[in-house]
Amino acid sequence: MSDIPVLYGSNKKQRYESLVAALYQDVFRYALWLCKNKPLAEDLVQETFLRAWRALESLQNDKAAKAWLFTILRRENARLYERYRPELVDIEGQAIAERDENEPDFKMDRELLHNAINRLESEYREPLLLQVIGGFSGKEIAAILDLNNNTVMTRLFRARSKLKVEFGSEDPGPAAEQPTD
Amino acid sequence: MNETDFKNRIYIDPFTADKEILDSAASNPILQEILNQTQKMDEDIRGIMDAVETPDGLKEKLLAIPQTDETESASEKTSKMLAERPAANSSFFQYFAIASSLMLALGVTFSLTYNSGPSSAEIAFGNEVINHLYHESVEIEAINSGLSLDLVAMPMVANAMTGIGTRLVSNSFITKIPVRFAKPCIIIPAYDSVHLMIEGSEGAVSVFVINNSPVSIEYKINDDRFNGIVVPMSNGNMILVGEANEDLGEYKQLFSDNIEWVI
Repeated sequence: MSDIPVLYGSNKKQRYESLVAALYQDVFRYALWLCKNKPLAEDLVQETFLRAWRALESLQNDKAAKAWLFTILRRENARLYERYRPELVDIEGQAIAERDENEPDFKMDRELLHNAINRLESEYREPLLLQVIGGFSGKEIAAILDLNNNTVMTRLFRARSKLKVEFGSEDPGPAAEQPTD
Repeated sequence: MNETDFKNRIYIDPFTADKEILDSAASNPILQEILNQTQKMDEDIRGIMDAVETPDGLKEKLLAIPQTDETESASEKTSKMLAERPAANSSFFQYFAIASSLMLALGVTFSLTYNSGPSSAEIAFGNEVINHLYHESVEIEAINSGLSLDLVAMPMVANAMTGIGTRLVSNSFITKIPVRFAKPCIIIPAYDSVHLMIEGSEGAVSVFVINNSPVSIEYKINDDRFNGIVVPMSNGNMILVGEANEDLGEYKQLFSDNIEWVI
């Protein structure tokens, strides 16, 4: 999923525009999960694409564009926290509230899942979201998070195990016997 | 395949195309149900993500970045030209130039923040750099007292620069400067930085390059002993610090012109 070419056009500006059109929504969604604040997420996305524009020539393999953008985004997020730590409003429920779903049960399930994801430790949440939002392979996630592949596999397993336990469809016992990091 | 092994595999990738997994699910209703539930959970997570609406106008702001970036560069060039051309200081030219700069500034719609001075976080960053020097006092004193006469070989300097994602465009300029020290260092945890020490006219001059977010404006730093300058670069910052009377202007120009960032 992540290896779809997204850079079209004969010049830098056209290639940049195709990059924005193809990926800005996923980049924003990931930014929102990272910083949990909409205005901050918007700033992060703008800063990410500004850097992407300036360094577009260095992106040799356009199939890697999404992983490249997500890596820049994570770096920008870390820089943001290094410079200041704003008070954050948890996005619990905000995203769900935006979509007008007519089925209350469906909405409640989504809210529960949303909250459960929020409660996951970031070491489990991040690889899971990279896989689901980004469509990245284990190797790509390992590269983005600077982890080894086995650690990523273990964390993906634990992330889903924990979510299943939250929903009562999993016994916390035996399935937690995955290899350690 | 037993249930535990099955879960171990599909919790890592519920949409795996692994034939062994799919065959196991097809032949065992319990495993099939586990697979279905796990896939549904992933689809629900994706649904939650898709429910997040992107802010109005965000795409347009992103598409405007190339134009805005070029406008800012032009504005910077104008300011630099004015600073470098004392002959152009006639009042007419000054007013014309100021008006032009204002027009350019008004054209910038991208929501970057411009400050008249460094922020408190940036001042704190400068202080961190100066504090770092006191951890390297042995090296500095060795250079200042003439005890450190060894030159760092160019490959070592290049290697230290490469470690933080930078390179020297030309090595020739630095061969004219005695580099006594070139090592990676940590000023801010989680950010890579390199610390070069060269021999200035008043003693050791430290050149730091760090890949943290560029500061909003170039600014001076100092304490009772040292004076320095923090210079924003394309993908990080360069900081020069020397003894109080050291003139850093020439070094700033040399390194600014010769350091290139490689993402």
